[in-house]
Amino acid sequence: MNDTILRTKNLKTYFYTTRGVVKAVNGVNFNLSRGECLCLVGESGCGKSVTALSLLRLLDSPPARIVDGQVSFGDIDLVKCSTRQLRQIRGKDIAMVFQEAQSALNPVLSIGNQIIEQVELHERISQREARARALALLEEMGIPSAERVIDTYPHLLSGGMKQRAMIAMSLSCNPQILIADEPTTAVDVTIQAQILEIFRNLRARKQMSFIFITHDLAIVNEIGDRAVVMYGGRDVETAPVSRIIKNPRHPYTRGLIACLPNMSRSEKRLESIPGNTPNPIELPPGCPFHPRCPKAMDICRRKVPSPTIVAEGHAVSCHLYAS
Amino acid sequence: MKYRTAGTSTSIRAGGRLAGYYWQRTRRNKLAIAGLAFIIFLIFLALFGPFFTMDPTEVNFDEKNLPPIGFSIEKSIYDINTDEFTTTIIRGTWKHPLGTDNKGRDLLAMIVSGARISLLVGLIATGMAIILGTIIGVLSAYSGGWVDNALMRFTDIMMTFPFFLLLVLIVFIFGHSLIFIVLAIGLTGWTGTARLIRSESLSLRTREFVTAARAIGASDRRVIFRHLIPNVMSLIIVITTLSIPGVIMAEAALSFIGLGDPTWTSWGIILSAGQHTLDTAWWIAVGPGIMLFLTVLAFNFLGDGLRDAFDPKSKI
Amino acid sequence: MGKTWLRDYIIKRLIYSVIIAWGILTITFVLVRVGPSSPADKYLANLTASGQDVAEVVAAIEARYGLDKPLWEQYFEYIGNLLRGNWGWSFSTSMPVMELIKTHWIYSFQLILLSSIFAAILGILIGIYSAVKQYTKTDYALTFMSFVGISLPNFWLGVMLILVFSVKMGIFKTYYDTTLPLFSLENLKALVLPVMTLGTGMVAGYVRYTRSAMLDNLRKGFVTTARAKGLPEHTVIGKHVFRNAMLPLITIIMFDLGSIVFGGAYLTEIVFGIPGLGQVSFNAIFANDYPIVVAVTLIGTLLVLMINLVTDITYTYLDPRIRYD
Repeated sequence: MNDTILRTKNLKTYFYTTRGVVKAVNGVNFNLSRGECLCLVGESGCGKSVTALSLLRLLDSPPARIVDGQVSFGDIDLVKCSTRQLRQIRGKDIAMVFQEAQSALNPVLSIGNQIIEQVELHERISQREARARALALLEEMGIPSAERVIDTYPHLLSGGMKQRAMIAMSLSCNPQILIADEPTTAVDVTIQAQILEIFRNLRARKQMSFIFITHDLAIVNEIGDRAVVMYGGRDVETAPVSRIIKNPRHPYTRGLIACLPNMSRSEKRLESIPGNTPNPIELPPGCPFHPRCPKAMDICRRKVPSPTIVAEGHAVSCHLYAS
Repeated sequence: MKYRTAGTSTSIRAGGRLAGYYWQRTRRNKLAIAGLAFIIFLIFLALFGPFFTMDPTEVNFDEKNLPPIGFSIEKSIYDINTDEFTTTIIRGTWKHPLGTDNKGRDLLAMIVSGARISLLVGLIATGMAIILGTIIGVLSAYSGGWVDNALMRFTDIMMTFPFFLLLVLIVFIFGHSLIFIVLAIGLTGWTGTARLIRSESLSLRTREFVTAARAIGASDRRVIFRHLIPNVMSLIIVITTLSIPGVIMAEAALSFIGLGDPTWTSWGIILSAGQHTLDTAWWIAVGPGIMLFLTVLAFNFLGDGLRDAFDPKSKI
Repeated sequence: MGKTWLRDYIIKRLIYSVIIAWGILTITFVLVRVGPSSPADKYLANLTASGQDVAEVVAAIEARYGLDKPLWEQYFEYIGNLLRGNWGWSFSTSMPVMELIKTHWIYSFQLILLSSIFAAILGILIGIYSAVKQYTKTDYALTFMSFVGISLPNFWLGVMLILVFSVKMGIFKTYYDTTLPLFSLENLKALVLPVMTLGTGMVAGYVRYTRSAMLDNLRKGFVTTARAKGLPEHTVIGKHVFRNAMLPLITIIMFDLGSIVFGGAYLTEIVFGIPGLGQVSFNAIFANDYPIVVAVTLIGTLLVLMINLVTDITYTYLDPRIRYD
C-alpha cells in the first residue's frame, strides 16, 4: 500500500453560471495508493461528486471548468492532457460507477451492447470473445441467467441487477482505479450490503484501487482504508478510517462523528452541527467552516488553513493545528 | 359551511401579480417583443391605414404597372408608324410608393386593405377554433367514459384530414365568401387544441392542489373556475398565439389558389396575380408576400416567447 | 416474452384504423351531400352554357348518379364504389377518376419523396449540430433560421424562387415541363426549385424537432457514462444520444408529414405547374368537377391514416421500453 498511483493537487473546478461563479471544488488534495480504498466523505454540496467527475474531465465545459490543479496518473496530468490520451485512460485504466444505474445506463441499448462496446473500444479482441467476457463479468457479479440478461434492456432489470450490471461494465477492461460515486445511495439496504461485498471481493482479488464517494460514515467505516473529509469544496482532514472515527481532529469531522447516534448509550437529543453548509457562490473568506466552527479564531476568518501533518498518514487543514 | 371568500379579491390581485410575473419573463425575450411590436403596428395599419391610403379598388389604366419608389423598369413600346421600338424608363413615384398592379390599383392601399382581412380572419377564425377545441377538450376530460371515447375518436378522424385539403374541399363545396372561409377554418382547426386542452385538464384534475381545494370544501364549480381555468389559461394563450399564423397562412393560401373571397383584397389574391406578371411587374408578388411572412414570423416569435415564459421549467 | 404482443397490437391498430377510415369516408359523404348545391347543379352550370335542355339533363344526371335514391342507399353505394375502385367520373376530363389518379399520382409522389428526403437529411443534421452547439452563436442563428423557415409562406417562397432563378437569372424554366421522362437529369433539374420550396418549410420543422429531441437527451446520465467509458464524442452523440432522440423524432416527423406536407405539396404543385394530384384537384375546382376534388382529399387523408398506422407500429416495435405483456 505504498506506491501512489493517483495524485490530486489543489484541484479547483468552478461553474460559470448566469447567477455567479459556483466554486464547487476549491482546492482538493489527496493521494491514492495501489490497492487502497480511499473514501471521499462529506455532506451533499461539499463538492465530492464534482471532484470525482473532474478527475476524468467528465463535466460539461461550459459551464464547468477546471481552473487550477493537477491530477497526476503516472506521468500524465489528467487535467491538461489531450483528449485522445484521456479517452484511452477512461474506461480502461480508470473506470467509473455512478449513483443511479437506471439513468446511467442507456435505455435503448441492451446491457450486452453497452459492455461489449467498451471492450471492443479498448482491446483488440473479436466480437465473440468480447461477448464471452461480458457474460463472464455478469456472472461474476452474481447476476443470475446472465445469458438472458446480456440481451436485455436496462429497465427490465431490478435495481440491484442494474447496479451490478453497471459495475460489471466498469470492470470490463480491468481498470487499475475504480471511482464509485455514491453507488449505494439509491438502493435499499440489502442491495447496499451486496454491493459492498462485491467491492470488498474486488479489492481482495484484484488489488484494485478505489475512490469511493459517500456521505455515509457507516460505509466509510465498512469499506474504506483511508478517508478524505470534504467541506465547502476543500479537503479538511485526511486520515486512515480508524483514526477518523476514533480520533477526529478537525472540528467539522468531530461534529460529524458526534452526530452519529450511539446505540449503546441513551441520549436525550441527537447532536447536530449548527448552521448551514456554505453557498458555493458566496463562499466565506478564509476557512470555509469558520461560520459554524465552535473553535473559530480570528485568523480563520482571514486565511485558508493549509494541511498540517498531525500523525502518521493523518493531515488536518485547520489553524488549531497549524504550527 | 361558507368559507371566507378571501380567495376572491386575492385571486384577482393574484391574477394581476401573476400576469405581471409572466409579462416580466416574456419581456426578456427580444424576439418576442419585436414580434409583439410588429403585431401592434399591423393592428394599427389595419384599423387606421385605409384612411391614409388611396382606394385600393380604384382602377387607373394610365398608371398601371408602375414600379415602387426607387425602382425603375424599362418598357418597350412599339410604334406602328415608325416600325420602331422606343424604350422608355418608367420610374416609381411617391404617389404609388409600392407601385401599382396591372389595372393601376395602388399596391400600398391593397396591402393595407389586405392586412384587415388577414387580421380579421386570423382573430375570428382562431377564436372559433380555440373555443370549440377548449369546449371539446374540457368536456371530454370531465365526462370521461363513452363521451370521452366518442369525442376523441371523432377528433382522431378529423385530425387525419390534412388541414389544407379539408379546407379546400369545404370551401369548394360551400362557397368562398369570407364568412364561409372563417367558418370553415374555425370548424376544422380545433383538433389540436382539443387534444392539448384535454390532456392538460386530465392531468390538472389529479393534481394535489385540486384535492386540497376540495378538502377545504370548495364546490366543483369553484374548483373549475378558481383553480383549473387559470392553469389552462396560460396554455390557451400560447396555443392561440401559435395558431393565428397557421390560420392567416391558410386564408392567404386559399385566396392564392382562387378560393378566396373576391370582394376583398387579400394578400393571397395579390400574390396570385403577381405570379403571372413576374417578368413585367415583379413587385406585385413581393410586397404582400413580405407582409405575410413578417406577420407569421411575428406571431411565431411572440408565441414561442410566451410559451417559454409560461413554462415553469425553463430558466429565464 | 414472446412476440405475440406485437401481432396483437398490430391487429388492434388495424381495426382502429378501419374505424377511422370509415369515419373519414362518412364525413366526406356528409360534406358533399350537405353542401348547398347538389352535384347536379354543378354539372348543370357547365351544361347550360352549351345550350342543352336543363330539365332533361337534370333528370338524366339524377338517374345516372343515383341521386333520386334515398340517402342511405346512396351512402352504401358510395362506400361500395370506393372500395371497388370506382371513384367516380370526372366530367371535365371525361375519364374515370381512378384513371386520372393513376396517371398523375407519380408527379406528386416524386415531389413529396424528394422533398422529404432532402428535408429529413438536412434537417436532422442541422438539428443535431444545433443541439450539440447549444448556447453558441451558431445555435442562435440556426434557431432563428428555423423560425424563418416555418414562417415563410411556401407558395410565396416558390414564387420568389421563380422570380430570382427563372425570371431574372434564367437558370431554371418557369414552368414544369411535363414531357420530360421521369428518371432523367433534366427532370431532376426542373424539380430543384419545387423541392427547395416544399422542403424549406419541412427542414425548419425537422431542425426544431431534432434539436429539441437531442437536447432532451444530451444532459442525461448515460451520456456521462458513455464518455466515462472512453468513447469518442461522435459515438456518444451519434450512437447513444441520437438513438434515444430518434424514437420520438420518427413519430413527430411522420405525423407532420401527413398534416402539413400534403397541404404544402398541393400549393407547390400549383405554383410550379407540376401535374400532380394537387394540380389536378385545382383544375377540377374551376371546372366544378367535384368527384376529383373529393377523391384527392380522400387520397390525402387515407394516406395520412396509413402513415400514422405504420409509424405507430414501427415506433412500438423499435422502442424497447414499450412492451405489452
